[in-house]
Amino acid sequence: MSRQEADLKVSIKKACSTEEAAPKRKHVRACIVFTWDHRSSKAFYNGLRLLPIQNDEIPLFKSLITIHKVLQEGHPSAIKEGIKNRDWIQSLGHVFPGDGMKRYGRLIREYDRYLIRKIDFHNSHKGFNGTFEYEEYVSLKTVSDPNEGYEAIMDLMVLQDSINDLQRLLFASVDSSSHSELKISALVPLVAESYGIFKFITSMLRGMCHSLGHEDEALQPLIERFISQYSDLYDFYAECSYVKYLTSLVNIPKLPLEAPDLFNWDETDELKLRLPVEEAPLQV
Amino acid sequence: MSKSFVRTIKNVANGYTSAQVMVRNATSNEPHGPTIAQMADVANHTYESAEFLPIMDIIDKRMNDKGKNWRHVAKSLTLLDYLVRYGSNNVVIWSKDNLYVIKTLREFQHVDDSGTDQGVLIRVKAKELTALLQDEERLRQEREIAREKRGRRGGRRRGDDD
Repeated sequence: MSRQEADLKVSIKKACSTEEAAPKRKHVRACIVFTWDHRSSKAFYNGLRLLPIQNDEIPLFKSLITIHKVLQEGHPSAIKEGIKNRDWIQSLGHVFPGDGMKRYGRLIREYDRYLIRKIDFHNSHKGFNGTFEYEEYVSLKTVSDPNEGYEAIMDLMVLQDSINDLQRLLFASVDSSSHSELKISALVPLVAESYGIFKFITSMLRGMCHSLGHEDEALQPLIERFISQYSDLYDFYAECSYVKYLTSLVNIPKLPLEAPDLFNWDETDELKLRLPVEEAPLQV
Repeated sequence: MSKSFVRTIKNVANGYTSAQVMVRNATSNEPHGPTIAQMADVANHTYESAEFLPIMDIIDKRMNDKGKNWRHVAKSLTLLDYLVRYGSNNVVIWSKDNLYVIKTLREFQHVDDSGTDQGVLIRVKAKELTALLQDEERLRQEREIAREKRGRRGGRRRGDDD
């Protein structure tokens, strides 16, 4: 085993410790940087599988956050290896069948289910990166084939709904306990991911509305669902903006009260969606 | 004073090149700096192909430093932001290849002994630099502006001595 792999093992171990606090960013970052340095994520998953994370709810929950972060920010191989390790990741959801001693049982189950949905999505729609950062060609490709576009939007919406369920569950569990940092920290990747998905859905739907015309009935259900998801997203970000831990760490996107108009839009609208850094207020 | 003395010894002991020493001084743990003059010096040296990689090596090390040395991280981001605008085009290529190093700093956290979150500065800098590197058009404009400014100041570049 090389020196770097030994360091990686230490980082994984420290990221998934038994302490009921957010996984330390420096250790999670070390895992992410490792996947880029080596253009491979095998060692990350292997290292994680060797840890006794299944003995305790806290390390298990922290490992799910770590996996999520590595899937998002790691080298593209993290997603490929994630698909290979799908069964193992799924098995983590069954370790604590009840509520659990520390009441993380349900959170672990739901988080795990979300990760599996995410992995399955990436498996059937190649070309999306881990955080769904806007890539023009993916959206063009899917729009040029309406059937594939329709399916991609549907699947993205399913994913967006599960993010919404998960964030509600997380927020609901926070009030009842004093150690809330760990639960709140699971919201960080969800904010980034939901915004990426939202931007994709918006530009793909716009493209499809544009190419299929206004009155296309096939699009109607998608548009209705888009509007209802928009209000969920708006509420989610509003709630996040009250949590200091979150606002100091990530830009919470500021959405306008009204859902974006899918038919009348110009270049500046598109540009605004593409530059979340400029759009969201900088937290200094 | 003693700290900078120790740094001088380390510079000699580890056999750093003069350009690397410049980077280390510009990104040290002292509360002030880096100065424009320090950054301009480093920028000029990125045009020397033999010095380019050693310079980026030190910046890479500084960016991956631990939380206690958050000033190393913050200053190397400041320096890199300057180099991306004023340095050779190789800096841009290197930064894009290693974008993940910068990108992953967007969530950097460090709370010091007095309980202040010193990570804010780094998070903001990392976000800005990532946005700049991902925006081809803006980056081209910024480098254009930088080139004009340098021209007006008398253009110290490649091989020019003081």
